Amino acid sequence: MTDKHLDRMVRDADPYRPDLVARLGGAEQQLLEEIMSTPKLDVVESRAPRRGLPRRLAGAVAAAAVVTGVIGATALLLDQPEGAAPGAWSGPLGLPSSGTGGTGGGYELDLKAAQEHPRLLVGQPGWKITTVYGFAAAEGTIEFVNGNRSVQMNWYKADQYDSYYKDRLDVSKPEPTTVAGTEASVFTYGGGDWAAMLKPIDSSFVELRTSSGWERSEFDALLATVKRVDAKAFLAALPPEVVTPGKVREEAAKVLADIPIPPGFDMSAVNVDGANSPYHFGAAVTGQVTCSWIAEWSRAKEAGDKEAQGQAASALQSSHQWKVLNDMNAEGDWPEVTWDLVDQMIKKNEVPKGYKEGLGCQ
Amino acid sequence: MGSGTEQEDRFRRVYAGNFEALLAYALRRVDQPEDAADVVAETFLVAWRRSRELPPDDEIKLWLYGVARRVLANHHRGGIRRERLGERLRQRLTAIVTRDPGSEVPQRLAVQDALSRLAETDREVLTLTVWEGLQPREIAEVVGASAAAVRTRLSRARSRMREMVGDDLGSPGHVLDVLTAIVPEEGR
Repeated sequence: MTDKHLDRMVRDADPYRPDLVARLGGAEQQLLEEIMSTPKLDVVESRAPRRGLPRRLAGAVAAAAVVTGVIGATALLLDQPEGAAPGAWSGPLGLPSSGTGGTGGGYELDLKAAQEHPRLLVGQPGWKITTVYGFAAAEGTIEFVNGNRSVQMNWYKADQYDSYYKDRLDVSKPEPTTVAGTEASVFTYGGGDWAAMLKPIDSSFVELRTSSGWERSEFDALLATVKRVDAKAFLAALPPEVVTPGKVREEAAKVLADIPIPPGFDMSAVNVDGANSPYHFGAAVTGQVTCSWIAEWSRAKEAGDKEAQGQAASALQSSHQWKVLNDMNAEGDWPEVTWDLVDQMIKKNEVPKGYKEGLGCQ
Repeated sequence: MGSGTEQEDRFRRVYAGNFEALLAYALRRVDQPEDAADVVAETFLVAWRRSRELPPDDEIKLWLYGVARRVLANHHRGGIRRERLGERLRQRLTAIVTRDPGSEVPQRLAVQDALSRLAETDREVLTLTVWEGLQPREIAEVVGASAAAVRTRLSRARSRMREMVGDDLGSPGHVLDVLTAIVPEEGR
Protein backbone atom coordinates (compact mmCIF):
# COMPACT_ATOMS: atom_id res chain seq x y z
CA MET A 1 0.00 0.00 0.00
CA THR A 2 1.50 3.31 -1.06
CA ASP A 3 1.43 6.46 1.07
CA LYS A 4 -1.19 7.80 -1.29
CA HIS A 5 -3.44 4.79 -0.84
CA LEU A 6 -2.99 4.86 2.88
CA ASP A 7 -3.80 8.54 3.04
CA ARG A 8 -6.97 8.00 0.99
CA MET A 9 -8.05 5.30 3.37
CA VAL A 10 -7.48 7.55 6.36
CA ARG A 11 -9.27 10.38 4.59
CA ASP A 12 -12.28 8.14 4.10
CA ALA A 13 -12.34 7.46 7.81
CA ASP A 14 -12.59 11.19 8.47
CA PRO A 15 -15.47 11.71 10.91
CA TYR A 16 -16.07 15.21 9.59
CA ARG A 17 -18.54 15.94 6.82
CA PRO A 18 -17.79 19.08 4.84
CA ASP A 19 -21.38 20.23 4.49
CA LEU A 20 -21.89 20.31 8.24
CA VAL A 21 -21.61 24.05 8.64
CA ALA A 22 -24.50 24.62 6.26
CA ARG A 23 -26.68 22.65 8.62
CA LEU A 24 -25.78 24.47 11.79
CA GLY A 25 -28.70 26.81 11.40
CA GLY A 26 -26.85 29.90 12.53
CA ALA A 27 -25.43 28.30 15.66
CA GLU A 28 -21.98 29.42 14.62
CA GLN A 29 -23.13 33.02 14.31
CA GLN A 30 -24.59 32.89 17.77
CA LEU A 31 -21.36 31.51 19.16
CA LEU A 32 -19.48 34.39 17.56
CA GLU A 33 -21.75 36.85 19.29
CA GLU A 34 -21.42 35.08 22.61
CA ILE A 35 -17.65 35.14 22.34
CA MET A 36 -17.51 38.77 21.33
CA SER A 37 -19.71 39.73 24.24
CA THR A 38 -17.27 38.34 26.79
CA PRO A 39 -14.78 40.66 28.39
CA LYS A 40 -11.24 40.68 27.15
CA LEU A 41 -8.91 40.25 30.06
CA ASP A 42 -6.02 42.11 28.61
CA VAL A 43 -7.67 45.02 26.93
CA VAL A 44 -9.18 48.14 28.33
CA GLU A 45 -11.35 49.38 25.56
CA SER A 46 -12.14 53.02 25.30
CA ARG A 47 -15.78 52.22 24.86
CA ALA A 48 -17.98 49.96 26.89
CA PRO A 49 -17.79 46.31 25.92
CA ARG A 50 -20.72 45.13 23.92
CA ARG A 51 -23.34 43.02 25.45
CA GLY A 52 -24.40 40.33 23.17
CA LEU A 53 -26.63 37.44 23.86
CA PRO A 54 -27.67 37.14 27.40
CA ARG A 55 -26.63 33.75 28.59
CA ARG A 56 -24.01 35.68 30.42
CA LEU A 57 -20.66 34.49 31.42
CA ALA A 58 -20.01 34.93 35.03
CA GLY A 59 -16.61 36.28 34.25
CA ALA A 60 -13.41 34.71 33.32
CA VAL A 61 -10.59 34.24 35.68
CA ALA A 62 -7.76 33.44 33.39
CA ALA A 63 -5.12 33.01 36.03
CA ALA A 64 -7.10 30.29 37.66
CA ALA A 65 -7.70 28.72 34.28
CA VAL A 66 -11.32 28.49 35.10
CA VAL A 67 -14.17 30.06 33.45
CA THR A 68 -17.74 29.89 34.07
CA GLY A 69 -21.33 29.83 33.07
CA VAL A 70 -24.51 31.64 33.52
CA ILE A 71 -24.21 35.29 34.36
CA GLY A 72 -22.81 38.32 35.66
CA ALA A 73 -19.31 39.55 35.30
CA THR A 74 -19.85 40.72 31.77
CA ALA A 75 -22.69 42.76 33.05
CA LEU A 76 -20.71 43.65 36.12
CA LEU A 77 -17.91 44.99 34.01
CA LEU A 78 -20.05 47.43 32.17
CA ASP A 79 -20.49 50.25 34.54
CA GLN A 80 -17.11 50.87 35.99
CA PRO A 81 -16.90 54.30 37.51
CA GLU A 82 -13.76 56.20 36.72
CA GLY A 83 -11.39 56.96 39.53
CA ALA A 84 -12.57 54.23 41.84
CA ALA A 85 -10.12 53.22 44.52
CA PRO A 86 -7.86 50.32 43.55
CA GLY A 87 -9.43 47.05 44.48
CA ALA A 88 -12.76 48.66 45.06
CA TRP A 89 -15.90 47.15 43.71
CA SER A 90 -16.82 48.52 40.36
CA GLY A 91 -19.91 46.58 39.48
CA PRO A 92 -23.46 47.71 39.91
CA LEU A 93 -23.57 50.53 42.33
CA GLY A 94 -27.13 50.98 43.36
CA LEU A 95 -28.83 54.11 42.30
CA PRO A 96 -26.24 56.71 43.11
CA SER A 97 -27.34 59.10 40.45
CA SER A 98 -30.97 59.01 41.40
CA GLY A 99 -30.31 60.89 44.59
CA THR A 100 -31.74 58.16 46.71
CA GLY A 101 -28.46 56.44 47.35
CA GLY A 102 -30.41 53.32 48.09
CA THR A 103 -31.43 54.67 51.44
CA GLY A 104 -34.75 53.06 51.87
CA GLY A 105 -37.64 54.07 49.72
CA GLY A 106 -38.74 50.49 49.16
CA TYR A 107 -41.50 50.24 46.64
CA GLU A 108 -41.22 53.86 45.57
CA LEU A 109 -37.60 53.30 44.80
CA ASP A 110 -38.50 50.27 42.74
CA LEU A 111 -41.14 52.22 40.94
CA LYS A 112 -38.75 54.99 40.14
CA ALA A 113 -36.23 52.50 38.80
CA ALA A 114 -38.85 50.68 36.77
CA GLN A 115 -40.04 53.92 35.22
CA GLU A 116 -36.60 54.53 33.81
CA HIS A 117 -36.62 51.70 31.31
CA PRO A 118 -39.04 50.30 28.75
CA ARG A 119 -41.24 47.57 30.12
CA LEU A 120 -42.46 44.73 27.96
CA LEU A 121 -44.15 41.56 29.12
CA VAL A 122 -45.41 38.44 27.42
CA GLY A 123 -49.19 38.59 27.48
CA GLN A 124 -49.85 34.93 26.69
CA PRO A 125 -50.95 32.90 29.69
CA GLY A 126 -48.59 30.27 31.07
CA TRP A 127 -45.39 32.28 30.75
CA LYS A 128 -43.37 32.76 33.87
CA ILE A 129 -40.39 35.03 34.48
CA THR A 130 -37.50 32.93 35.69
CA THR A 131 -34.47 35.16 35.37
CA VAL A 132 -34.03 38.89 35.67
CA TYR A 133 -30.86 40.89 35.69
CA GLY A 134 -29.45 44.19 34.65
CA PHE A 135 -31.52 47.36 34.19
CA ALA A 136 -28.76 49.27 35.87
CA ALA A 137 -28.86 51.51 32.83
CA ALA A 138 -30.66 50.89 29.58
CA GLU A 139 -29.59 47.27 29.56
CA GLY A 140 -31.22 44.26 31.07
CA THR A 141 -32.46 40.76 30.51
CA ILE A 142 -35.64 38.93 31.37
CA GLU A 143 -36.23 35.30 30.57
CA PHE A 144 -39.75 33.96 30.25
CA VAL A 145 -40.35 30.24 30.39
CA ASN A 146 -43.40 28.17 29.52
CA GLY A 147 -42.85 24.42 29.72
CA ASN A 148 -39.97 23.60 27.41
CA ARG A 149 -40.19 26.90 25.56
CA SER A 150 -38.36 30.00 26.58
CA VAL A 151 -37.94 33.49 25.26
CA GLN A 152 -35.51 36.11 26.38
CA MET A 153 -36.02 39.80 26.14
CA ASN A 154 -32.82 41.77 26.06
CA TRP A 155 -32.63 45.49 26.41
CA TYR A 156 -29.70 47.27 24.82
CA LYS A 157 -28.67 50.89 24.54
CA ALA A 158 -30.34 52.65 21.66
CA ASP A 159 -27.07 53.77 20.16
CA GLN A 160 -26.09 50.13 19.65
CA TYR A 161 -29.15 49.42 17.53
CA ASP A 162 -27.46 49.98 14.17
CA SER A 163 -24.57 47.73 15.05
CA TYR A 164 -26.83 44.93 16.24
CA TYR A 165 -29.11 45.30 13.25
CA LYS A 166 -26.13 45.05 10.93
CA ASP A 167 -24.97 41.90 12.71
CA ARG A 168 -28.38 40.32 12.35
CA LEU A 169 -28.39 40.95 8.62
CA ASP A 170 -25.77 38.22 8.48
CA VAL A 171 -28.26 35.89 10.15
CA SER A 172 -31.12 36.29 7.73
CA LYS A 173 -33.15 38.76 5.76
CA PRO A 174 -35.23 40.86 8.15
CA GLU A 175 -39.01 40.64 7.97
CA PRO A 176 -40.90 43.69 9.14
CA THR A 177 -43.49 43.32 11.85
CA THR A 178 -44.93 45.23 14.77
CA VAL A 179 -44.45 44.29 18.41
CA ALA A 180 -46.28 46.11 21.18
CA GLY A 181 -46.95 48.98 18.81
CA THR A 182 -43.31 49.32 17.80
CA GLU A 183 -41.81 48.57 14.41
CA ALA A 184 -39.66 45.48 14.55
CA SER A 185 -37.67 43.09 12.36
CA VAL A 186 -37.88 39.33 12.59
CA PHE A 187 -34.69 37.38 11.95
CA THR A 188 -34.62 33.64 11.31
CA TYR A 189 -31.78 31.71 12.84
CA GLY A 190 -32.87 28.27 11.70
CA GLY A 191 -33.54 25.31 13.92
CA GLY A 192 -36.85 26.85 14.92
CA ASP A 193 -35.22 29.87 16.44
CA TRP A 194 -36.31 33.44 15.83
CA ALA A 195 -35.51 36.89 17.03
CA ALA A 196 -37.51 40.07 16.82
CA MET A 197 -35.62 43.31 17.15
CA LEU A 198 -37.70 46.33 18.05
CA LYS A 199 -36.71 49.80 16.95
CA PRO A 200 -35.33 51.94 19.78
CA ILE A 201 -37.62 53.91 22.02
CA ASP A 202 -35.96 56.55 24.17
CA SER A 203 -32.65 55.19 25.39
CA SER A 204 -32.96 51.53 24.54
CA PHE A 205 -34.17 48.87 22.17
CA VAL A 206 -35.39 45.37 22.87
CA GLU A 207 -34.65 42.10 21.17
CA LEU A 208 -36.76 39.00 21.79
CA ARG A 209 -35.08 35.71 21.11
CA THR A 210 -36.63 32.28 21.28
CA SER A 211 -35.08 29.05 22.38
CA SER A 212 -34.77 26.55 19.55
CA GLY A 213 -37.44 24.23 18.20
CA TRP A 214 -40.23 26.76 17.83
CA GLU A 215 -42.77 26.88 15.06
CA ARG A 216 -42.90 30.23 13.33
CA SER A 217 -46.63 30.42 14.04
CA GLU A 218 -45.90 30.04 17.76
CA PHE A 219 -43.44 32.89 17.61
CA ASP A 220 -45.87 35.13 15.74
CA ALA A 221 -48.60 34.29 18.23
CA LEU A 222 -46.32 35.16 21.11
CA LEU A 223 -45.22 38.41 19.49
CA ALA A 224 -48.84 39.43 19.09
CA THR A 225 -49.34 39.24 22.84
CA VAL A 226 -46.24 41.16 23.91
CA LYS A 227 -47.38 44.30 25.63
CA ARG A 228 -45.91 47.45 26.98
CA VAL A 229 -46.90 47.98 30.62
CA ASP A 230 -46.53 50.63 33.26
CA ALA A 231 -44.03 50.43 36.08
CA LYS A 232 -46.52 49.04 38.58
CA ALA A 233 -47.62 46.21 36.33
CA PHE A 234 -44.02 45.49 35.50
CA LEU A 235 -42.99 45.23 39.13
CA ALA A 236 -46.02 43.11 39.89
CA ALA A 237 -44.99 40.66 37.18
CA LEU A 238 -41.52 40.14 38.58
CA PRO A 239 -41.18 37.06 40.76
CA PRO A 240 -41.08 37.99 44.45
CA GLU A 241 -37.53 36.72 44.88
CA VAL A 242 -36.14 39.25 42.39
CA VAL A 243 -34.14 41.82 44.29
CA THR A 244 -35.27 45.25 43.21
CA PRO A 245 -33.56 48.45 44.40
CA GLY A 246 -35.89 48.86 47.33
CA LYS A 247 -35.00 45.44 48.69
CA VAL A 248 -31.25 45.70 48.26
CA ARG A 249 -30.38 46.71 51.80
CA GLU A 250 -32.47 44.03 53.45
CA GLU A 251 -31.32 41.29 51.08
CA ALA A 252 -27.67 42.35 51.27
CA ALA A 253 -27.79 42.05 55.04
CA LYS A 254 -29.09 38.50 54.67
CA VAL A 255 -26.37 37.59 52.21
CA LEU A 256 -23.67 39.09 54.41
CA ALA A 257 -24.93 37.48 57.62
CA ASP A 258 -22.25 34.76 57.74
CA ILE A 259 -19.57 36.50 55.69
CA PRO A 260 -16.56 38.12 57.39
CA ILE A 261 -16.55 41.80 56.56
CA PRO A 262 -13.28 43.31 55.26
CA PRO A 263 -11.73 46.23 57.14
CA GLY A 264 -13.19 49.49 55.94
CA PHE A 265 -16.01 47.77 54.09
CA ASP A 266 -19.22 49.70 54.57
CA MET A 267 -22.06 47.22 54.73
CA SER A 268 -24.64 49.95 54.50
CA ALA A 269 -23.09 51.11 51.23
CA VAL A 270 -23.62 47.80 49.51
CA ASN A 271 -25.79 48.39 46.54
CA VAL A 272 -26.72 46.33 43.57
CA ASP A 273 -28.32 48.25 40.82
CA GLY A 274 -31.30 47.27 38.77
CA ALA A 275 -33.46 44.21 39.25
CA ASN A 276 -31.75 40.92 39.81
CA SER A 277 -32.60 37.31 40.42
CA PRO A 278 -31.14 35.99 43.68
CA TYR A 279 -28.24 34.35 41.87
CA HIS A 280 -27.18 37.56 40.18
CA PHE A 281 -27.69 39.50 43.36
CA GLY A 282 -25.62 37.02 45.35
CA ALA A 283 -22.84 37.23 42.76
CA ALA A 284 -22.79 41.01 42.94
CA VAL A 285 -22.66 41.14 46.73
CA THR A 286 -20.11 38.37 47.21
CA GLY A 287 -18.07 39.92 44.41
CA GLN A 288 -17.87 43.16 46.35
CA VAL A 289 -16.73 41.40 49.50
CA THR A 290 -14.24 39.18 47.71
CA CYS A 291 -12.70 42.13 45.86
CA SER A 292 -12.22 43.96 49.13
CA TRP A 293 -10.68 40.96 50.88
CA ILE A 294 -8.27 40.35 48.02
CA ALA A 295 -7.29 44.02 48.06
CA GLU A 296 -6.71 43.75 51.81
CA TRP A 297 -4.68 40.55 51.40
CA SER A 298 -2.57 42.25 48.76
CA ARG A 299 -2.06 45.35 50.87
CA ALA A 300 -1.06 43.31 53.90
CA LYS A 301 1.35 41.24 51.85
CA GLU A 302 3.06 44.32 50.45
CA ALA A 303 3.26 45.88 53.88
CA GLY A 304 4.69 42.70 55.34
CA ASP A 305 1.76 42.54 57.76
CA LYS A 306 1.65 38.78 58.17
CA GLU A 307 -1.16 38.84 60.66
CA ALA A 308 -3.48 40.91 58.49
CA GLN A 309 -2.56 38.82 55.48
CA GLY A 310 -3.43 35.67 57.40
CA GLN A 311 -6.74 37.12 58.47
CA ALA A 312 -7.60 38.03 54.91
CA ALA A 313 -6.60 34.56 53.74
CA SER A 314 -8.82 32.96 56.37
CA ALA A 315 -11.71 35.19 55.46
CA LEU A 316 -11.33 34.32 51.79
CA GLN A 317 -11.01 30.62 52.53
CA SER A 318 -14.18 30.82 54.56
CA SER A 319 -15.95 31.53 51.26
CA HIS A 320 -16.26 27.76 50.90
CA GLN A 321 -18.72 27.94 53.77
CA TRP A 322 -20.61 31.10 52.82
CA LYS A 323 -24.23 30.12 52.69
CA VAL A 324 -25.08 32.29 49.74
CA LEU A 325 -22.38 30.74 47.57
CA ASN A 326 -23.42 27.25 48.54
CA ASP A 327 -27.03 28.10 47.77
CA MET A 328 -25.99 29.46 44.38
CA ASN A 329 -23.80 26.53 43.50
CA ALA A 330 -26.43 24.42 41.82
CA GLU A 331 -27.50 27.24 39.59
CA GLY A 332 -24.23 28.34 38.11
CA ASP A 333 -20.50 28.62 38.34
CA TRP A 334 -20.01 31.86 40.16
CA PRO A 335 -19.30 30.17 43.50
CA GLU A 336 -16.73 27.85 42.03
CA VAL A 337 -15.02 30.65 40.18
CA THR A 338 -14.73 32.50 43.46
CA TRP A 339 -13.43 29.46 45.29
CA ASP A 340 -10.96 28.53 42.58
CA LEU A 341 -9.65 32.04 42.49
CA VAL A 342 -9.23 32.27 46.25
CA ASP A 343 -7.62 28.84 46.50
CA GLN A 344 -5.19 29.60 43.69
CA MET A 345 -4.26 32.88 45.28
CA ILE A 346 -3.48 31.37 48.62
CA LYS A 347 -1.70 28.38 47.17
CA LYS A 348 0.55 30.47 44.96
CA ASN A 349 0.82 33.32 47.43
CA GLU A 350 0.08 35.84 44.71
CA VAL A 351 -2.92 37.71 43.43
CA PRO A 352 -4.18 35.90 40.35
CA LYS A 353 -3.96 37.87 37.14
CA GLY A 354 -7.29 38.86 35.80
CA TYR A 355 -9.16 38.52 39.05
CA LYS A 356 -10.40 42.08 38.89
CA GLU A 357 -11.99 41.51 35.54
CA GLY A 358 -13.37 38.19 36.64
CA LEU A 359 -14.97 39.52 39.76
CA GLY A 360 -15.66 42.97 38.42
CA CYS A 361 -13.29 44.78 40.76
CA GLN A 362 -11.64 47.97 39.62
CA MET B 1 -2.82 46.97 16.84
CA GLY B 2 -5.57 49.39 16.00
CA SER B 3 -8.75 50.39 17.70
CA GLY B 4 -11.22 48.09 19.34
CA THR B 5 -13.46 48.28 16.32
CA GLU B 6 -10.65 47.22 13.99
CA GLN B 7 -9.87 44.34 16.31
CA GLU B 8 -13.51 43.34 16.35
CA ASP B 9 -13.72 43.47 12.57
CA ARG B 10 -10.58 41.42 12.24
CA PHE B 11 -11.81 38.90 14.78
CA ARG B 12 -15.02 38.50 12.80
CA ARG B 13 -12.97 37.84 9.68
CA VAL B 14 -10.72 35.39 11.49
CA TYR B 15 -13.74 33.60 12.91
CA ALA B 16 -15.58 33.43 9.60
CA GLY B 17 -12.47 32.28 7.78
CA ASN B 18 -11.51 29.58 10.23
CA PHE B 19 -14.68 28.40 11.95
CA GLU B 20 -15.22 25.42 9.71
CA ALA B 21 -11.60 24.30 9.86
CA LEU B 22 -11.61 24.49 13.65
CA LEU B 23 -14.96 22.74 13.92
CA ALA B 24 -13.66 19.97 11.71
CA TYR B 25 -10.47 19.73 13.73
CA ALA B 26 -12.44 19.45 16.94
CA LEU B 27 -15.08 17.04 15.65
CA ARG B 28 -12.39 14.71 14.40
CA ARG B 29 -10.88 14.47 17.84
CA VAL B 30 -13.71 14.27 20.35
CA ASP B 31 -15.89 11.37 21.35
CA GLN B 32 -19.11 13.33 21.51
CA PRO B 33 -19.92 15.91 18.85
CA GLU B 34 -21.20 18.37 21.41
CA ASP B 35 -17.75 18.42 22.97
CA ALA B 36 -16.50 19.89 19.70
CA ALA B 37 -18.64 22.94 20.41
CA ASP B 38 -16.75 23.47 23.65
CA VAL B 39 -13.39 23.09 21.96
CA VAL B 40 -14.30 25.51 19.18
CA ALA B 41 -15.83 27.98 21.61
CA GLU B 42 -12.86 27.92 23.91
CA THR B 43 -10.36 28.22 21.09
CA PHE B 44 -12.03 31.27 19.62
CA LEU B 45 -12.53 32.71 23.06
CA VAL B 46 -8.78 32.59 23.56
CA ALA B 47 -8.37 34.29 20.19
CA TRP B 48 -10.92 36.93 21.14
CA ARG B 49 -9.21 37.66 24.40
CA ARG B 50 -5.89 37.95 22.62
CA SER B 51 -7.25 40.08 19.80
CA ARG B 52 -4.36 42.47 20.17
CA GLU B 53 -1.68 39.87 19.77
CA LEU B 54 -3.00 37.57 17.11
CA PRO B 55 -0.47 36.46 14.49
CA PRO B 56 -0.78 37.72 10.90
CA ASP B 57 -3.55 36.33 8.71
CA ASP B 58 -1.35 33.82 6.94
CA GLU B 59 -0.34 32.28 10.26
CA ILE B 60 -3.62 32.49 12.09
CA LYS B 61 -5.00 29.08 11.17
CA LEU B 62 -1.95 27.23 12.46
CA TRP B 63 -2.02 29.33 15.59
CA LEU B 64 -5.69 28.44 16.13
CA TYR B 65 -4.94 24.76 15.60
CA GLY B 66 -2.22 25.06 18.21
CA VAL B 67 -4.64 26.62 20.68
CA ALA B 68 -7.29 24.02 19.88
CA ARG B 69 -4.76 21.31 20.48
CA ARG B 70 -4.06 22.58 23.97
CA VAL B 71 -7.75 23.04 24.66
CA LEU B 72 -8.32 19.49 23.53
CA ALA B 73 -5.52 18.21 25.73
CA ASN B 74 -7.18 19.85 28.70
CA HIS B 75 -10.49 18.46 27.58
CA HIS B 76 -9.13 14.95 27.48
CA ARG B 77 -7.42 15.34 30.81
CA GLY B 78 -10.82 16.04 32.21
CA GLY B 79 -11.68 18.18 35.14
CA ILE B 80 -11.14 21.39 33.23
CA ARG B 81 -13.89 23.88 33.70
CA ARG B 82 -15.45 25.06 30.51
CA GLU B 83 -17.02 28.26 29.42
CA ARG B 84 -20.64 27.69 28.77
CA LEU B 85 -20.57 29.14 25.33
CA GLY B 86 -22.10 27.69 22.25
CA GLU B 87 -25.03 25.85 23.77
CA ARG B 88 -26.89 26.17 20.50
CA LEU B 89 -23.91 24.86 18.59
CA ARG B 90 -23.78 21.93 20.99
CA GLN B 91 -27.44 21.18 20.40
CA ARG B 92 -27.07 21.42 16.64
CA LEU B 93 -24.02 19.20 16.57
CA THR B 94 -25.71 16.61 18.71
CA ALA B 95 -28.72 16.65 16.45
CA ILE B 96 -26.94 16.41 13.14
CA VAL B 97 -23.80 14.45 13.82
CA THR B 98 -24.64 11.62 16.15
CA ARG B 99 -26.71 9.43 13.91
CA ASP B 100 -24.45 9.21 10.91
CA PRO B 101 -24.57 5.61 9.72
CA GLY B 102 -21.40 6.35 7.79
CA SER B 103 -19.48 6.18 11.00
CA GLU B 104 -20.60 2.57 11.46
CA VAL B 105 -19.00 1.24 8.30
CA PRO B 106 -16.72 -1.59 9.45
CA GLN B 107 -13.78 -0.51 7.33
CA ARG B 108 -13.95 2.99 8.67
CA LEU B 109 -14.13 1.66 12.16
CA ALA B 110 -11.08 -0.47 11.49
CA VAL B 111 -9.11 2.53 10.26
CA GLN B 112 -10.25 4.63 13.19
CA ASP B 113 -9.38 1.85 15.55
CA ALA B 114 -5.92 1.64 14.04
CA LEU B 115 -5.57 5.41 14.33
CA SER B 116 -6.53 5.21 17.96
CA ARG B 117 -3.76 2.69 18.54
CA LEU B 118 -1.07 4.97 17.14
CA ALA B 119 1.09 6.93 19.53
CA GLU B 120 -0.61 10.23 20.16
CA THR B 121 1.81 12.47 18.31
CA ASP B 122 2.06 10.04 15.40
CA ARG B 123 -1.69 10.06 15.08
CA GLU B 124 -1.71 13.81 15.27
CA VAL B 125 0.81 14.32 12.48
CA LEU B 126 -0.95 11.78 10.26
CA THR B 127 -4.39 13.28 10.76
CA LEU B 128 -3.12 16.84 10.46
CA THR B 129 -1.60 15.76 7.17
CA VAL B 130 -4.56 13.91 5.77
CA TRP B 131 -7.58 15.57 7.37
CA GLU B 132 -6.35 19.12 7.80
CA GLY B 133 -4.13 18.97 4.73
CA LEU B 134 -1.11 20.52 6.44
CA GLN B 135 2.50 20.33 5.32
CA PRO B 136 5.14 19.01 7.74
CA ARG B 137 6.52 22.52 8.34
CA GLU B 138 3.00 23.69 9.22
CA ILE B 139 2.38 20.72 11.48
CA ALA B 140 5.67 21.51 13.17
CA GLU B 141 4.24 24.88 14.09
CA VAL B 142 1.00 23.44 15.43
CA VAL B 143 2.55 20.73 17.56
CA GLY B 144 5.67 22.63 18.53
CA ALA B 145 8.23 20.28 17.04
CA SER B 146 10.80 20.55 14.26
CA ALA B 147 9.76 19.83 10.70
CA ALA B 148 12.30 17.02 10.58
CA ALA B 149 10.74 15.38 13.62
CA VAL B 150 7.31 15.70 12.04
CA ARG B 151 8.49 13.98 8.86
CA THR B 152 9.96 11.15 10.89
CA ARG B 153 6.77 10.73 12.85
CA LEU B 154 4.64 10.88 9.75
CA SER B 155 6.66 8.17 8.14
CA ARG B 156 6.45 6.04 11.27
CA ALA B 157 2.70 6.64 11.57
CA ARG B 158 2.10 5.51 8.01
CA SER B 159 4.09 2.36 8.37
CA ARG B 160 2.37 1.49 11.66
CA MET B 161 -1.00 2.06 10.01
CA ARG B 162 -0.02 -0.20 7.15
CA GLU B 163 0.90 -2.90 9.63
CA MET B 164 -2.38 -2.59 11.46
CA VAL B 165 -4.90 -2.27 8.67
CA GLY B 166 -3.15 -3.41 5.52
CA ASP B 167 -4.07 -7.05 5.78
CA ASP B 168 -7.54 -6.54 7.16
CA LEU B 169 -8.85 -4.29 4.48
CA GLY B 170 -7.67 -5.88 1.28
CA SER B 171 -6.72 -3.72 -1.64
CA PRO B 172 -7.22 0.00 -1.27
CA GLY B 173 -9.36 0.07 -4.38
CA HIS B 174 -11.77 -2.36 -2.84
CA VAL B 175 -11.89 -0.42 0.40
CA LEU B 176 -12.61 2.80 -1.37
CA ASP B 177 -15.38 1.26 -3.42
CA VAL B 178 -17.07 -0.03 -0.30
CA LEU B 179 -16.76 3.26 1.48
CA THR B 180 -17.96 5.25 -1.47
CA ALA B 181 -21.02 3.10 -1.68
CA ILE B 182 -21.95 3.29 1.96
CA VAL B 183 -21.15 6.77 3.15
CA PRO B 184 -24.59 8.35 3.21
CA GLU B 185 -25.74 11.44 1.45
CA GLU B 186 -25.89 14.33 3.82
CA GLY B 187 -28.60 16.87 4.16
CA ARG B 188 -31.05 14.81 6.10
